[in-house]
Amino acid sequence: MRDTDNMEAEMEYDDGEEEPSFSDPEDFVDDISDQELLGDVLRDKPQEADGIDSVVVVDNVPQVGPDRLEKLKNVIQKIFSKFGKITNDFYPVADGKTKGYIFLEYSAPSHAQEAVKNADGYKLDKQHTFRVNLFTDFDKYMSISDEWEAPEKQPFKDFGNLRHWMEDSDCRDQYSVIYDSGERTGIFANDVKEPIEVEERARWTETYVRWSPKGTYLATFHQRGIALWGGEKFKQIQRFSHQGVQLIDFSPCERYVVTFSPLMDTKDDPQAIIIWDVLTGQKKRGFHCESSAHWPIFKWSPDGKFFARMTQDTLSIYETPSMGLLDKKSLKINGIKDFSWSPGDNIIAFWVPEDKDIPARVTLMQLPSRNEIRVRNLFNVVDCKLHWQKNGDYLCVKVDRTPKGTQGVVTNFEIFRMREKQVPVDVVEMKEGIIAFAWEPNGSKFAVLHGESPRINVSFYHVKNNGKIDLIKMFDKQQANSIFWSPQGQFLVLAGLRSMNGALAFVDTSDCTMMNIAEHYMASDVEWDPTGRYVVTSVSWWSHKVDNAFWLWTFQGRLLQKNNKERFCQLLWRPRPPSLLTQEQIKLIKKDLKKYSKIFEQKDRLSQSKASKELVDKRRTMMEDYRKYRERAMDMYNEQRPLRLELRGVFVFSGGVWTIIGEKN
Amino acid sequence: MRPILLQGHERSITQIKYNREGDLLFSVAKDPIANVWYSVNGERLGTYNGHTGAVWCVDVDWDTKNVLTGSADNSCRLWDCETEDNQPYLSLPCNESKITSAVWGPLGEFVIAGHENGEINQYSAKSGEILKVAKEHTKQINDIQSSVDLTMVISASKDCTAKLFDSTNLEHIKTFKTERPVNSAAISPIMDHVVMGGGQEAMEVTTTSTRIGKFEARFFHAAYEEEFGRVKGHFGPINCVAFHPDGKSYSSGGEDGYVRIHYFDPQYFDFELEA
Repeated sequence: MRDTDNMEAEMEYDDGEEEPSFSDPEDFVDDISDQELLGDVLRDKPQEADGIDSVVVVDNVPQVGPDRLEKLKNVIQKIFSKFGKITNDFYPVADGKTKGYIFLEYSAPSHAQEAVKNADGYKLDKQHTFRVNLFTDFDKYMSISDEWEAPEKQPFKDFGNLRHWMEDSDCRDQYSVIYDSGERTGIFANDVKEPIEVEERARWTETYVRWSPKGTYLATFHQRGIALWGGEKFKQIQRFSHQGVQLIDFSPCERYVVTFSPLMDTKDDPQAIIIWDVLTGQKKRGFHCESSAHWPIFKWSPDGKFFARMTQDTLSIYETPSMGLLDKKSLKINGIKDFSWSPGDNIIAFWVPEDKDIPARVTLMQLPSRNEIRVRNLFNVVDCKLHWQKNGDYLCVKVDRTPKGTQGVVTNFEIFRMREKQVPVDVVEMKEGIIAFAWEPNGSKFAVLHGESPRINVSFYHVKNNGKIDLIKMFDKQQANSIFWSPQGQFLVLAGLRSMNGALAFVDTSDCTMMNIAEHYMASDVEWDPTGRYVVTSVSWWSHKVDNAFWLWTFQGRLLQKNNKERFCQLLWRPRPPSLLTQEQIKLIKKDLKKYSKIFEQKDRLSQSKASKELVDKRRTMMEDYRKYRERAMDMYNEQRPLRLELRGVFVFSGGVWTIIGEKN
Repeated sequence: MRPILLQGHERSITQIKYNREGDLLFSVAKDPIANVWYSVNGERLGTYNGHTGAVWCVDVDWDTKNVLTGSADNSCRLWDCETEDNQPYLSLPCNESKITSAVWGPLGEFVIAGHENGEINQYSAKSGEILKVAKEHTKQINDIQSSVDLTMVISASKDCTAKLFDSTNLEHIKTFKTERPVNSAAISPIMDHVVMGGGQEAMEVTTTSTRIGKFEARFFHAAYEEEFGRVKGHFGPINCVAFHPDGKSYSSGGEDGYVRIHYFDPQYFDFELEA
C-alpha cells in the first residue's frame, strides 16, 4: 500500500485552512481480497439459491387417503421441522392416495443436509422406514454416464517382506530407540554382546514412535499426520494426513489406525478422531471428541470386528468394515462408568454405580448378540477398576467399598472365571490400600502391591480350578510401585520407578523366590522383550536430565549391557506376531527341548569363543604397538640423559673425585 | 586395601602432588592453606598459611627445597619447604582461551598447556610461541599430568574422556572413555595403567546417585584402553589423583575435602588382562 507517499503529498496544507484528504488516490488498486478481509462474514452472505439445494425427497411415506392426509402432514411436520424451518411441502397424489414420497423445502440448504443426515433410516413404524435424499442428488445419479470407465490401475508398490525381521537366524528381537532428545531415532537388533544397529535416521519422528500390535509397522508422528514404515529397509508404506495429530491407536488385527488431533474439529465435519484403513490409506470415518483424557477412546474387540466407545450414559458399538453402529443404535446404559473388551473373546465388561435402590453392578455382555452372560451386584461401592487377564481367561474387578457403618475404604478383588460355565465369581479381600495389580500373562496367577510407603508388600495369588484363590507368598518391605510380568508368564520384575530411585527385584513365581535384587538409579521405564528373555530398564531424558541410558538384563536379573545414549528418550521393543505353530507342534518342541538346547549351546559357545578370540587378537596388536612406541620413547629418554644431568647439576664420583657436570640454574 | 584418610582441609581439594622421592604429599584446596603430609602414614607435617584465596595448584621442586602454589588471589607464592617462609612470586597474565592446566616438557624447553576450549598447546619456554597444537578434546581440559619420565602426558577433560599424548610431538596415542566428566588423570610409573577421577560438576552433584561413597576412581589399562577396576570411597566428585613415584600407591583428593592414600594389594601387580 502506498499510503506513506500519499501522506507526504497531503501534508502540505495551509495552517488550519483545509482538512487534509486521507482518501486513496483515484487510481489506487486495493491489493487485499475480500476473502481475507471479511472471510468469516462472507460465509454468512445470503446466497442466491435457485431453491433446489434446500429440497429433500422423502421416500417410504405411508400412502394414505385424503382423510388421513392431515394427520400425516402433522406427523411429517413434527419430525422434519427439527432440522429447520419448512417453507414448502408437496405431497403428490395418485388415485386418491398419496404416492408414497413427498418433497420438502427448507429455508436453507444446510437444513436440508441435516435432514438427510439424521432422518434417513428413521423408522416411522414397522412397515415404513424413511429414506431421505437431497433433490440435487437425484440429478447427479440420473446423469451418470452409461459408459463405465474402469478405474486406473495404480502401480504395485513393493515394500518387500514386511516380516523380514522375523527371519533373523539368531532370533534377535528389534527395538526402537529415540535419543538426542528426539533428534535421532534408531532401530537396533538385540544381541547379547552389544546392540546391532539396523537403521538410524535423524528427525524420523517429531515426538515419539509406536509399533503396531503385531510389529509389522513403525508409526512416526509429524505435524501434518502420521507415517507408517516397515519392511527390511523401513520404507514408507503409508501416510495419513491429520493436522496436529497427538495420539494414535491400532486395531489388534493391524487393519485400522485411529488418530486423534485436538485441532481439527469443526461442527459440520467431525475430524477430532479419524479411523483409517491401513492398506488403502483411506479415511474411513471421523468422530467428534471432547477430550483425550482416557485414550484410547475407541476400544477394539480382539478380532478387530468391533470397536466401541463410551459417552454419557451411552455405549456405542460400531462394526467393521462398514464403520456403522451395530444394529444402527447405541446402547443406553444409565450411569455407565467404564468398560473394556475381553482380550480373548468378543465380550464387553462394564460397570454402573449405585442408583438409589439399585446396587452397583458389573455386567458381562456378549457381542454381537448383546446377551448379558453375567451380572454381579456390588454394594456400597466407591469405585471399580477392570483388569482382564491377557488371554481373557479371567477378569478381576477391583472394588473399593465403604462398608456400612464404617468410614474407611476397603478393597475387594472380584475374580470372574470366564472359561467356566456361568462364569463363577470369587472374592479376595485386601486389608490394605492397593498400589498395583497385574495378571500373569498366559497363566492364572496375579501379583498385588499393597500397603503404604515405606511399608509396601507384594503378594502372589494363584487362581485354582476348583474356585479357590490361594495366597502363595507375600514379601514385605519392598521398594516397588509397579509390577512388570514377562510376556510369557512365570517371571516378573518389581520396580520402584521415578520417586523410588529405580529399585528392581526379579522374581520367579513358580516357587516365589527372589532371583536378584538390583538397582538402576532413577529408572523411569521397564520393558520386557516379546519373548520374555530380556528386560530393559531405562532412564529417559524426558524424566531425568542426566545419566540417560538403557540397561539390558536377563530375565533372571543378570545385568548384560549398559548402553549410554546421549539424551536417550524412549525404547520400545518390536512386538512379535502370534506364533504360527499349532499347540501340538509347540508341545513336541518342548518335549525335544534337550536336543535343541544342545545345538544352541554349541552355537553360543562358538560365537563366544570367536568373540574372545577377536578380543584377544585385538589386544595383542594394541599391546605390540604400544610396546614399540614405549621403546622409541625410552630410547629418546636415554639419549637425553646427559642433557638432563647437565641441567640438574649432578655430582659424579669418577676417578676418586667429585665433579659437577654443568652448572645449576 | 584400606585407605588412609587425610583430614586437613575445610573445603574441596583442588590438587595433590607427591615430591620426587614420594615420601611427602602436598595438598591444596579451596580454603587458603596448603598442607604437607607424610605419605607413609598420613601424619601431617605442616601447613603453609599466607594465601587469601582458594589455592588451585601446587608443585614441589626436584629436591624438595621449594614449594610453589598458585591461588585465586592472583598470586603465586614460592615457599621454603621446611620453614614456611614465603616470598610472593610473579603472577602471569593469560590471553584467549583460559589455560586450565600446564606441565613442563622433558628437558624444560617447552610447556604443555591445556585450555578451556579443549585444545592442548606446546609453548616454547624461551619465546612463548606455540610450537605444536593438539585439538582432540571437545570440552575444557581439567588436568594434565606427565608420566614419571616425562615422555607422555595424559589430559583429563570435561568431555568424559582422558587422552594420552606423546610429550615431544603431541601425537594422540590413546583415549579412555567414561560417562562422567574426568577431573584428573595420572599415569602409573611402573605398570601400564592409568587412573582417572571425576564426577559431576559440583552444582549438579545432587542429581547423581548420592549413595554414600559412590564416587569412584577408575583404573584403565593404558594399552587396551579398557577399564579393569574401580575404587570407591569418596563422598563427592574426585578432583585430583596422583600416583606415588614408586607406583605402589596412589592418592585422590575429592570435593568432600578429604585426601585418601591407597596402598595397592599384591594382586594389583599380578593382574593381567587376557591377551
